[in-house]
Amino acid sequence: MPELVPSLLRQELARLAEEDARLDGRGRWEAREITLETDCLYNAEGSAKVTMGGTIVYAGVKFELRTPWPDRPTQGSLMCGAELRPVAGRKYEPGPPSPQSIELSRVVDRGIRESGCIDMESLCIVPGEKVWGVMIDIHVLSDQGNIFDACGLAAIAALRTAVVPAERFDVGEDHKLQVSSTPIMASYTRAGGRFVYDPSEEEELGGDERIHITLGDEGHLHSLQKGLKGVFTPAEFAEIFDEAQKHCVVLRKLVAKEEGN
Amino acid sequence: MGGYGDVQLLREDGSRLDGRKLDEMRPVKIEAGILPAADGSAMVTHGLNVAVAAVYGPMEAHPRKIQRQDRAVIDVRYNMAPFSTSDRIRPGFNRRSREISKVTAEALESVVLVERYPRSKIRVEIEILAAEAGTRCAGITAAAVALADAGIPMRDLIVGVASGKIEDTVVLDLDKAEDNYGQADLPVGILPNTGEIAFLQMDGDLSPDEYNLAMEYNFKAAKEIHEVMVDALQRRYQGGDV
Repeated sequence: MPELVPSLLRQELARLAEEDARLDGRGRWEAREITLETDCLYNAEGSAKVTMGGTIVYAGVKFELRTPWPDRPTQGSLMCGAELRPVAGRKYEPGPPSPQSIELSRVVDRGIRESGCIDMESLCIVPGEKVWGVMIDIHVLSDQGNIFDACGLAAIAALRTAVVPAERFDVGEDHKLQVSSTPIMASYTRAGGRFVYDPSEEEELGGDERIHITLGDEGHLHSLQKGLKGVFTPAEFAEIFDEAQKHCVVLRKLVAKEEGN
Repeated sequence: MGGYGDVQLLREDGSRLDGRKLDEMRPVKIEAGILPAADGSAMVTHGLNVAVAAVYGPMEAHPRKIQRQDRAVIDVRYNMAPFSTSDRIRPGFNRRSREISKVTAEALESVVLVERYPRSKIRVEIEILAAEAGTRCAGITAAAVALADAGIPMRDLIVGVASGKIEDTVVLDLDKAEDNYGQADLPVGILPNTGEIAFLQMDGDLSPDEYNLAMEYNFKAAKEIHEVMVDALQRRYQGGDV
């Protein structure tokens, strides 16, 4: 069965591609409906809920006090974890983190870390002794395609609304976490032979490789990842790179709006 | 129970720190069918607790050794999100979540008509997104609504509720402080129509009279929560006012 369905689906996706159409009627670069809600979980110091079509993702930020690494005595740390638990869909099995969930969390982590939006020095409390460890945990509750973008958006939105709980740890006053920019991920999957934005579950099932691009405020690249089997040409990349610039601006505005800027 | 003893949990006038009466429950909100990927789902907001349940199946049970010739097995996972508590919890199962998963599965098996689906499996995933005392009860309530939402036949719903004791006084529905510094906690899973009990745990110290009063509170609360559960399902399936 798992082989049969994609082969029929692949034929259908190829046919639709010839007409420049998609299964759910969207344009090639068109996203599904996106919603973003922040500060929605009581015990998280920053939180966000993102929906993209039927995909639902939560992210929560927690802080801990730790001793800095000996070679970086004035720097705090950032850790990003994503869990693909069996709640997210029929295809997910219980067990230790799958390679897929590790890839997901590392791609989200790199986009945020490499953008430099969090100054690790600002997380220092006492050099050599006490720094903040920032932990973002992403929880996928419903996977109906494109969890990468949903996770990336939830993570940065949760961070940008996070409050450092200094009072609870007795190290000063609570203050907003300093996040200087808004790195955004845009993902493209080859479906029916051409790349499409914001792939649905069916497009992922009957599609090929995917490309994830994370862009900073100035449109600079901060993380790239090609996943799954397949090859692409530089010309194809140039095309989606152009689209990514537009898509990231849209999502960045959504984050700013939610923050009330 | 924590039982640190000298933390004041009742005001001079006998009311609780959050202003509730002794037999007053925190507000409960329920939504059915919130997860598009699942066959059935529900979100229960009980005070500050947020519990989400997803149901998948009935589906083929594998590995085969878990199959039962005469009935379905119910595979429950209760899991707390790392950001659900004040201090982050490391992802993955621990002894507490395993125990809760086990007794919750047994409670659900007591109401689902499992004999209708021999050799199959029904997966119930309970995810706690925010935890402020009472998550196992919120999880049971969410699971029951999600099972009904998935169209799985049941003898009755199950309502998760808890009462306990603080400052030698029996109260309904302990919050976080009351749970931490109280003297007893009695979480139960009640079948609202038959009045039977499918889930029972307790820890702390209760006299027979205190137990009876706690149970009386639990049954009263179960009735209230049951109405909210039915309302959530009706809104989903009868297109009632949302």
